[in-house]
Amino acid sequence: MSAREQFMTTHAKNIEAKRVYRRFTAGQNWEHAILLISGIVLFFTGLPQKYRTTSWSQQILSTPERLETIQQIHHIAAIVLILLVIYHLGRAIYLLFQRRLPAAIFPTIQDLRDAWQMIKYLLFLSKGKPKFGKYNFEQKFTYWFIFIIVGIMVFTGIIIWFPELITRYLPGGLVPAAKLAHSTEAIVAAIFIVIWHFYHVHLERLNVSIFTGYLNEEDMKKYHTLEYQQLTGEQVEDADTGGSQ
Amino acid sequence: MIGRHRLIIALLMGTFMMFLIGILCLDAAQGIAAQLPQVPNPTEEPDPRLSLSDDLCLECHGQPGLILELENGETLDLYVSPDDYYQSIHGKEGYACVQCHRTIGNFPHPPFVASSKRDATIQFNNTCKHCHLSQHVLTQDSVHARALAEGNIEAAVCSDCHTSHEVRQINDPVTNEPLPETRLWVPETCAQCHNEIYQKYLTSVHGSALLDEENTDAPSCIDCHGVHNIEDPTTTEFRLKSPQICAKCHTDPEIMDKYGISTDVLETYVADFHGTTVTLFEKQTPDAETNKPVCYDCHGIHDIKSPDDPEKGLHVRENLLERCQVCHPDATINFPDAWLSHYIPSPQDTPLVYFVDLFYKIFIPVVLGSMGILVVLDLSKRLRDRVNQVTDESSSSVNRITDSNESELNSHDSPSEPSSTNGTQQENSHD
Repeated sequence: MSAREQFMTTHAKNIEAKRVYRRFTAGQNWEHAILLISGIVLFFTGLPQKYRTTSWSQQILSTPERLETIQQIHHIAAIVLILLVIYHLGRAIYLLFQRRLPAAIFPTIQDLRDAWQMIKYLLFLSKGKPKFGKYNFEQKFTYWFIFIIVGIMVFTGIIIWFPELITRYLPGGLVPAAKLAHSTEAIVAAIFIVIWHFYHVHLERLNVSIFTGYLNEEDMKKYHTLEYQQLTGEQVEDADTGGSQ
Repeated sequence: MIGRHRLIIALLMGTFMMFLIGILCLDAAQGIAAQLPQVPNPTEEPDPRLSLSDDLCLECHGQPGLILELENGETLDLYVSPDDYYQSIHGKEGYACVQCHRTIGNFPHPPFVASSKRDATIQFNNTCKHCHLSQHVLTQDSVHARALAEGNIEAAVCSDCHTSHEVRQINDPVTNEPLPETRLWVPETCAQCHNEIYQKYLTSVHGSALLDEENTDAPSCIDCHGVHNIEDPTTTEFRLKSPQICAKCHTDPEIMDKYGISTDVLETYVADFHGTTVTLFEKQTPDAETNKPVCYDCHGIHDIKSPDDPEKGLHVRENLLERCQVCHPDATINFPDAWLSHYIPSPQDTPLVYFVDLFYKIFIPVVLGSMGILVVLDLSKRLRDRVNQVTDESSSSVNRITDSNESELNSHDSPSEPSSTNGTQQENSHD
C-alpha cells in the first residue's frame, strides 16, 4: 500500500469535497480593490475640503501647504480612479465587440418584478423570496448606482479642477453647479455605501467574493439559485428562496 | 486664574504708570518753580506753572519774524499766531504754553539744540503723552512709530496730523466718539504724505461720496486703517483679515439699506472657495501667504468703484474678467460666471446651482431614505423570523395550529411539515 493510499484510507472520512463557484475574475477583484482604495482616499481628502468652515476641518487644512498637499493627494487618487474608469469602459467596449459582454449585469424587467416581490416579502405580503441569477436586483442596483456616482464625480471633478479650460467651451455657471454637485454627490456616495452596500455585504451576510473571486456552494444555492441551477443542472428546492413558487 | 492674574498685573502696571506720571509732573513743576526766581513768594502759589501766563510767552512769540537758526542752516519759525492758538481746542480749554513746552519755562530759555526742523518736531513729540497717554501707547504700535524707530525721521508724529498750535477738536465731549465732520478732514491729513493714494481715493466710490457729497457714511482712511495704531497694510496678516474690515460696514444693514447694497457680501464670499480658504487661514495661520483673493483684489484697494460703474464696475463681465485674469491668466469670457457675484443661489441669478441644490434636496431623502427603509425592513424581517423560529422550536405543534394565521405569514413552509420547517429555518438563522 502506497503512502498515498494509506493516507486516503485513514483520512478519507475527514475529507469533504467542497465545490466553489467563480463569481468574479481576478481582474474584477483588482478593479474593486482599486475602486475601494481610491474611493477611500478621495473621500477622506475631500471631506475636510467640503467642510472647510468647521473647526475640525480647519485643524487639518490649517496652512496653505497642507491644503495643497491634501488637494494633490485628492488629485492623484482621482487620476487613479479615472484610469480605472477608462480601463473598465475600454474592457466593456472590447467585450462588446467580441460579443462576450456579460448580459447578467444589465437591468431587466425581471429585476423590477424581483424588487416588487422582495418588497412584498419584506412587508409580509408574500411568503416567498424571489430567486436570483448571477446578479440580483440589489447587486445590479449597487453597480449602476456607483457607476453613475463615479460618472458624476469624474465629470464634475474635472470641471472644478480645470475651470479655465472648461469655460473655454462651456458656460461659466457650470463651475459652481459642478462644485455643489461634486460635494453633495460625495455625500450621496458615502451614505449609499454605508447603508446599502455595507448592509448587503456585511450585515445581511458576509460576502467576500469580490475579494476572493469565489462563492461556496451553499451561498450559490441560496442567493443565486437560478445561476446555480443553470450551472449544475440541479434543481434547488430551498424553502428560503422561492418556497411559494 | 490667568484672567485674574492678568488683571492684577494690569492694575499694578497702571498704578505704577500713574505713580510715574505723578513723579514726572511733580518733577517738572519743581523744575519750573526752581527756575522762577522772579516770583516773590513761591510758597503762596499752588501751581507755579499757572504763574507763567501765555501773555508772557506771546510778548516775544506773538511777534512775527522771531526765528531760530538750526545746525543745518534751516530756520525754525518761533512765531505763534495767538488767534490760531485760541481757536484750537487747547487754546479754548485754556491750556498754557508751558503745559506742552515743559522744558523751556525759564527766560532766558535754556539752550535748545536741534539738527533740523524735523529734529525739533520729533523732540517736541514726546510732550503729548503727558496728557494723551492712551493715544501715545496706541501710536507706539503703529507703522509710523516703527518707521521712526528704524530711523525714518519723515514718519508721521502727533503734530504732523494734529498740527502743533492749531489742534482741532475731534471727539464729541459727551459721547467721546469722533464728531461726524472730523471724517471729512482725515483724507487731506493723510494726503500730506500719502498724496498718490489720496488721488486714487478721490476717484473711488467712497472718496467721492465722502468728499464730494460730504456723506459721512462713507469711510475715510482711518475707518479701514485705524487711527493711532495704524497697521502695516502690506503684511499677510492684514491681507487675511482685510475682509473683516470691509464687512464692518458692508454687513451693517443700518448703513447699507440706505443705498440698497446687499449685506450678504461677506457671507457669500466666505461660502465660496476663495473666501472659505481665506477665512480658514485667517483663523489657523494668520501669517500664511495665500494667493486666494480678498475683497480688495477684485474691488480695488483705494480706487474702489461701484460695481455698476460703466468703466470699471465689476458687473461688466469684461471688467470682472480682467480681475480674474490676474490669477487665472487662461480665463476666457465665460469664466467670470463661475463666480456667483455674491448672489445667494436663486432660479433667476444662478439657475444651475439652484436646481442642482434642489435636486439633491429631493434626491437624498427620497432615494437614500427609501434605501434606508428597505434595509430596515429587511433587518426587521430577519429579526422577526429569528424570534418566530425560537418560539416555534420551544412551542408545541398545537400552538402552531391555533396560531395558524400568524405562522402562515411568518414561515415560508406549510405547517403540515413541522420537521422540514425547523430544518430550513435553522438554516435561516445562520444568515
